[in-house]
Amino acid sequence: MIIDVHAHWGPWFFTMDVAGTTLATMDRYGIDRAVVSSTEAVIYDAPAGNRALATALGGQSDGLERLFGYVTVNPRRLREADRDLREYLPTGRFVGVKIHTDYTGSPVTSPQLRDALELVASAGCPALVHTWGASVLDLAQVCLDTPGLRVIAGHMGADGFRYAIEAARACDRLYLEPCWSHAPAGRIAEVAANVDARQLLFGTDSTLIDPSSAFGAVAAANLTGETAERVAWRNAAELFGLAAT
Amino acid sequence: MALTVILCALFVNGMIARMAIRDKAGMAFDAWGLIGGLEVALDVDVLVGAYPDRDGPPGTPASVQAMLAEHRIRAGAVASLRAALFDMRSSNDATLALTATGEEAAAGEGAAVGGQAEGAPVGFVPVGVVDLRDPVGAGREMDRLAAAGVRAVRLFPDEQGVEAGFPSVRHVARQAARLEMAVLTGGDVRRFWQPFAGLDVSVVFLDTHFYHLGDFLVAAADEPGFHTSTRLLNSPDALETVAAELGAERLLYGSRTPHYEPLVPLLRLATSGLKADQVAAVAGGNARRLLG
Repeated sequence: MIIDVHAHWGPWFFTMDVAGTTLATMDRYGIDRAVVSSTEAVIYDAPAGNRALATALGGQSDGLERLFGYVTVNPRRLREADRDLREYLPTGRFVGVKIHTDYTGSPVTSPQLRDALELVASAGCPALVHTWGASVLDLAQVCLDTPGLRVIAGHMGADGFRYAIEAARACDRLYLEPCWSHAPAGRIAEVAANVDARQLLFGTDSTLIDPSSAFGAVAAANLTGETAERVAWRNAAELFGLAAT
Repeated sequence: MALTVILCALFVNGMIARMAIRDKAGMAFDAWGLIGGLEVALDVDVLVGAYPDRDGPPGTPASVQAMLAEHRIRAGAVASLRAALFDMRSSNDATLALTATGEEAAAGEGAAVGGQAEGAPVGFVPVGVVDLRDPVGAGREMDRLAAAGVRAVRLFPDEQGVEAGFPSVRHVARQAARLEMAVLTGGDVRRFWQPFAGLDVSVVFLDTHFYHLGDFLVAAADEPGFHTSTRLLNSPDALETVAAELGAERLLYGSRTPHYEPLVPLLRLATSGLKADQVAAVAGGNARRLLG
């Protein structure tokens, strides 16, 4: 069983044609479930993208029942965000919030990002937040300052993965998700050796990045036993309130 | 390994869905199960040596060979980081000595480089390095390397702080064309295509990221000598797009062992939509054509 906590649904603006390949890409790597955000919502218009994703997830055919949604939040549009959270979270098809700091011009240190994460905490669901470099340390501080917030550091800082180790050790409500198009040798193994296994998740950034990048990097770390199981799916099931039997 | 997943979702207005997940078997991230029997005959992007400005592996030749062997990579086009960062001439000599040793070892096992049996030593194909901060010396070094039978030079513009528009890059490109040497170059392909344009020279762009795939495609359409490493072409359809637009002969497996995980491009190639003959070409046939 593998649950991908960082996936996407919809087209991208690069030279690629992957809008309809979400499920096929999952199948290529044996990924059973994925939590997806709408690319339109992430890149341009959160309400429009959330609405389109809700429509897609509302049907229960063509394998889309394998997908769960993130409500994408633009920290600069919190009134819209609040409305979307109230509308989509109760459907059960959306299980968390996605915030991209770059596309919304809302770095982790910005006041609007803090306000957005307070809103997420009050909604009671986890948030996946884009992190790069040392920003993952700022995210840990925001998490510590926001009671009840559970936050996933998307990309676990990418090249700042050593900051991610520090961040996860500082805040046990901060989770690390590894996807990145680069795969420096030993990155995953070093994180796994230094972070509580209960804070590690698996994510791919598919369909922007092929799952081979995260899958191969995690495989190279040779995780075994409980740690492998936690990374593959158990932590995600617990974080998103998915009942495991 | 069989997995059983039971999904129970209750979609009742106003209620949170409940999903029950049962995992009967535990083998996640079985990369080798997906890679199957794929082997790489020649990896175009292998380094010996360490980066002094970052943490990472020491890159001793023995450890590099071991890492390649562990990933069923039978030979590597090897270049020296010491040559890139400190002294090209003495370090290129060390690379040549290293590859001579590797060839002798391979010969001793009765197997040719690139076609070893399981357990046979990994072969090294020598790649010279020139320092773009010294274009005059670089030109002389390329003459020396060509006379020694070296078929390719590698450029490290990012590490050396050299931009694509610097005269040194165009000088080395012209020298490579004159000597009929292939060039393996790092740097942003959106900029580094230009100094090689119109020279009828074989170039492998080692840092082509799938974000920049479109720029590579339109540049390479006019340049039959332009090729790309697969290392960062890890979007769901980048390899397939290159094969469809330009032909799979423009793709070369590159890992950047030991500083990157060779498993990632290996997995991407193994799970690609390329045909078997195309996969074989990417996994070493194309590199052999360029590097000998």
